[in-house]
Amino acid sequence: MAPLNAIEVRNLRRIYRTTIGVIRRRVKEVVAVDDISFDVAPGELFGLLGPNGAGKTTMVKMLTTLLIPSAGTARVLGFDVVDQADPIRPRIGFIFGGERGLYWRLSAIDNLRYFASLYHVEPEIARKRIPYLLELVRLDGRGQEKVEGYSRGMKQRLHVARTLLHDPELLFLDEPTIGLDPIGARELRQVIRNLQSEKKTILLTTHYMFEADALCERIAVIDHGRIVALDTPEGLKRHVRDLSVIELEVYGIPPELLDVLRALEVVEAVTVENRDQKQAVLVQSPGGSEAVPEILAALSGLRVGKVIVREPTLEDAYVRLVGGEVEP
Amino acid sequence: MRKLTLYARVILASAEMSVRETMTDGFVVFGIFVQPLIIALLGLWMLRDRGGDYGIFVVVGSGLTGLWSSLLFISGNSITHERWTGTLETLVGVPTPMGVIVLGKNLANVLQSIGSMAVSYLLASLLFGYPLTVAQPIQFVISLFLTVVAFVTFGLVIAPIFVMNPDVQRWQNGLEFPIYILAGFLFPIALLPGWTTPISYLLAPYWAAQALHLTSSGGGTSGEISIAWGMMLLFSLVYVLLSRTLFRVMLRKARSEATLGLE
Amino acid sequence: MRSVTLNIRLFFQGALLSYVALFRWLSPMTYLASKVLMPLAQILFFSFLGMYATGQANASFYVIGNAIQLAAVSGIFGVTMSIGGDRWEGTLPYLFGTPANRMAMFVGRAFFHVLDGMVGVVLALMWGVLLLGLDLSHANPLALGLTILVATFSTSGMGLLLGCISLITLNVMFINNTVYFSLLVFSGANVPLSTLPAWMQSVAWALPLTRSIAAARQIIAGGSLAEVAPLLWMEVLIGAIYILAGYFLFRWFERQAKLRGTLDIF
Repeated sequence: MAPLNAIEVRNLRRIYRTTIGVIRRRVKEVVAVDDISFDVAPGELFGLLGPNGAGKTTMVKMLTTLLIPSAGTARVLGFDVVDQADPIRPRIGFIFGGERGLYWRLSAIDNLRYFASLYHVEPEIARKRIPYLLELVRLDGRGQEKVEGYSRGMKQRLHVARTLLHDPELLFLDEPTIGLDPIGARELRQVIRNLQSEKKTILLTTHYMFEADALCERIAVIDHGRIVALDTPEGLKRHVRDLSVIELEVYGIPPELLDVLRALEVVEAVTVENRDQKQAVLVQSPGGSEAVPEILAALSGLRVGKVIVREPTLEDAYVRLVGGEVEP
Repeated sequence: MRKLTLYARVILASAEMSVRETMTDGFVVFGIFVQPLIIALLGLWMLRDRGGDYGIFVVVGSGLTGLWSSLLFISGNSITHERWTGTLETLVGVPTPMGVIVLGKNLANVLQSIGSMAVSYLLASLLFGYPLTVAQPIQFVISLFLTVVAFVTFGLVIAPIFVMNPDVQRWQNGLEFPIYILAGFLFPIALLPGWTTPISYLLAPYWAAQALHLTSSGGGTSGEISIAWGMMLLFSLVYVLLSRTLFRVMLRKARSEATLGLE
Repeated sequence: MRSVTLNIRLFFQGALLSYVALFRWLSPMTYLASKVLMPLAQILFFSFLGMYATGQANASFYVIGNAIQLAAVSGIFGVTMSIGGDRWEGTLPYLFGTPANRMAMFVGRAFFHVLDGMVGVVLALMWGVLLLGLDLSHANPLALGLTILVATFSTSGMGLLLGCISLITLNVMFINNTVYFSLLVFSGANVPLSTLPAWMQSVAWALPLTRSIAAARQIIAGGSLAEVAPLLWMEVLIGAIYILAGYFLFRWFERQAKLRGTLDIF
């Protein structure tokens, strides 16, 4: 009988211990994943969204049997990730963002042939499947080239092909579009959508809000190793529905002034985006345009350019959830 | 049975992959071909003054130095190398046991080294005109086979040890020549002080050298040859058993201490 | 005057830097192993092989040859690494952008390796005395010391040249290892030169080490400094030629890289 959930995570924790110092050694503990629980249904595309260092990769490594949790349990396709790694491994696929993890001196086809045998794919099946996968990730015609000559995006797409060799039911895609140019990222997202339509269960991590919004059915926002929100994209947007966003164009703002803004009654969250020579201060406020005079008064003495009041986006919801500490 | 076919396929694929990947690697080409050939050249030159027929002795002995060096440096680093290329995580995550993959890679190295022995054979016969005859061809082939087994399985032991103990790995360079000496690759261990003899007996490469030298140069009794064969089999068995534990410990340790990747 | 001070400082900074870099990839313990144990194993191997071939009486022939040959470990590997390191670190474009005197920068990097190599040879000779019955009682210490200095100088010159070649090719270690092992054949450390074919003898005399090894054997057998002086002078000259060749290759490489805009590739 198939398990009810593809992934079941209960109170999962992972602590890293590192020793620092040569003479006086001290043990430093970092809690990467802190008491996380969630379920992923079969066929679902589930997103883990959070800033760098939030614990996303640690989470994926535990679920793919590569890392043992410090506490809690996780079941993948009904099997425990610590003690029942063997039945899990042939049925899942995983990629970690970035271009490492391939044999650069070999061609794409050689890489795929090798991994096919490691995944126990019958040779005649592999022979048919490799060209199909290369086409799927738009590397057809370049399969004979050595991987070292590939662009970053091509390598990342080859990783996607690699992880589909054994036709896994469940896919873990950890930051698949990291470091790609916009076109490469868009192509890869299209590949992920195609997989979704093939009814595969996918767990995707990303720190791009719009990516999670565009792809995922449900999103868990994690920050400092904890889930701060778990909802559909629409549900997450509801968190900020009652707020407006006031964008102020400035030319260099001292950090003290940001603290002054944050202390205001009408202000919920403040972030700064760098835009070429200018900066945009994004203020979330329930007051809408009525809060603008008070905000401008608080910034008196600072040169302020354009001021825009707009509806919040999912990005703003995310900013609010992770406390304004996201990267631009 | 199905599992055996699958594993055999992985071993062959890993070996093929390893050959393709390393044939362009200067370090490997040096270790497997250049260094043993220079040692063979030196050996042929140096032993010429001794008189007699030392051609086959030098060919076998220098081939063994290449076998040992490639085992030490290439097989010893096989897991560490995967860690550097970032492929180790993927390899641990596949359904094939890690040991089977490493076995395939070791097999490639050892067979390549044997190939280099063949090259130095040609070199010695064509360049130096030695009449290179193998005294007991059938026994020699058996010895060669057992040597491959012993070296491949020994590689299964050193790779996890090196990856778990970077401090030990740093002594890698220091393990190359001592084994050349203690295993009697190019001169009999009788030249060495008596207290080193027990150490030699504990080294599978020593028994490999014994078997190969006795069967190629001739002059060995069937008793001596059988002992060398038996010891190689015994060591291979010990290595296989030891490696199973080592791999289990290594993977458990890597999974709990998060040392599969480099970050 | 100011430029002299500047260049001297540059020289020592380069020297220090290359040594610090060496220790970064070699921990102190490993350094000790590579300085004490590895040379011992290598000397023992070739000496035993030599004794097996020609008898115990000839032990010192092999011990001396292989001990002096060790100068090449620091000379070739150490020096190449300190130059090639810039390429891996990606600091080459910045070096080429500085107004620094290339010669001072260049030779400074080899300096500590000369000292390091001398220590290595002395240790190796001590192993010979302790374990293989090498007799240094007839040797003129000054002459032997000079010979060791000259040997490390000339191999470091070769190291500089190889280091520059390493900036162009990818397989640094392949070239270094091959050259090092070829020296075992050509330098006369293990085979009397007179028994080599004529063409190999000519090559041998164009390489560093050959004369140093011959000189060391003479001195240890009781020869005077005056007797080996011609050998040593020639060895210094050979070292200088290699340094100059390396230097010009370095300048040429710098020019080519700037001309073609390929600095980043290297």
